[in-house]
Amino acid sequence: MKYDDETLMAYVDGEVDAKLRADIDAAIARDPVLASRVERQRAVRGKVSGAFAKVLEQPLPDELMRAARGGATSGSPANRGNVLQFPARPSRAPSPPWRGREWAAMAASLILGAVISWRLFATGEGAPIVPGKASLVAHGALAHALDIQLASEQRGGEAISIGLTFKTKDGNYCRSFELRASRTVGLACRVGSEWQVAATDAKEPAAGQMQQASSAISPAILRAIESRVDGAALDADAERDAKERGFEPNH
Amino acid sequence: MTQSSEEIGERIVELLPRLRRFARSLSRNQHDADDLVQSGIERAWRHLEQFKPDANLASWMFGILKNAWLDNLRSRRRRGEVALPEDSGEHPAISPVDGNTELWSVSEAMSKLPEEQRLAVALVLVEGLSYKEAAEVLEIPMGTLTSRLARGRTALAAALEGGNPS
Repeated sequence: MKYDDETLMAYVDGEVDAKLRADIDAAIARDPVLASRVERQRAVRGKVSGAFAKVLEQPLPDELMRAARGGATSGSPANRGNVLQFPARPSRAPSPPWRGREWAAMAASLILGAVISWRLFATGEGAPIVPGKASLVAHGALAHALDIQLASEQRGGEAISIGLTFKTKDGNYCRSFELRASRTVGLACRVGSEWQVAATDAKEPAAGQMQQASSAISPAILRAIESRVDGAALDADAERDAKERGFEPNH
Repeated sequence: MTQSSEEIGERIVELLPRLRRFARSLSRNQHDADDLVQSGIERAWRHLEQFKPDANLASWMFGILKNAWLDNLRSRRRRGEVALPEDSGEHPAISPVDGNTELWSVSEAMSKLPEEQRLAVALVLVEGLSYKEAAEVLEIPMGTLTSRLARGRTALAAALEGGNPS
């Protein structure tokens, strides 16, 4: 049985299931080469975690202690009152007898769709998404960004930013994107000469993301990616190669 | 649900050693690391209403530090400062003369990794997060996390052993 490095790393990290763990344990006992490969992975992990371990023992700077207790910024919520009220969950009205929940879900999705399309079509981004023959397709500045923009070269202030680029099981390329002004994230896949928009979602501002968004993604888009991705997202070099080939599928 | 700001503050104080370690693994020296922790904590207080009381505070804070670090790198890039990953701090790296050779050499090797790989290595190998937790902090699929982690690790192994990745 052959194990690749990634499997051995997962083994060293305690991320394999009991069956695979037992198989690898047994294989190590028989195979000194495998044993040394595992040892090498273990050594890297040990070296990296060991190197930074001393930081834990250092005395904590007073400035950080003050900041941690909310004392660093005069306008911070910490100073506005003693007790912080977390937003209460909206109270749910009792379900009417006639399948009210389905109606509510349908209404909610209609409202969400309406909000997203309002955001997309009512902003200055010049209708980035338009109906195509088979589905919604990227248009104008969005289509252009999907064609040429590289996530690795973004500076953070772009009106349209690109998140992950990956290949699907059919060999097509998909890219996640964010339209800053309309706070919309989405996923577009290259089909023929078009970028078909597979999903869009309203982007809630994530904690700590100020003007510059750090990731063009939301949980719904992440799920859309996970259902399509073949392997992993492209790294910076592979993204550049794919762009130079015009995101043409290579089967 | 209510939680007093003092309780939250004390929980962040408890996390400080780990936040400093995480930040140190992304920075070239402790000074830059502490600046990063400081700005991350200030952001956390400003956005505290976004923290869900049943969520993991450590993961939430790691995510904020990650965003602060990336924003910092990007604004340096925008200002036209050299975009090399090893130039991501205002203070030079500490020299090995100060006694901790191992920290210095691992930190130098980490600083040469692409940002995305450094984050994966920092969360899993330095902070000991599970793959699932790390993928959630970085907002990426699991498969992407494991491949970034594998590439980062292979490069680190080569740099630290002074040889070629096998």
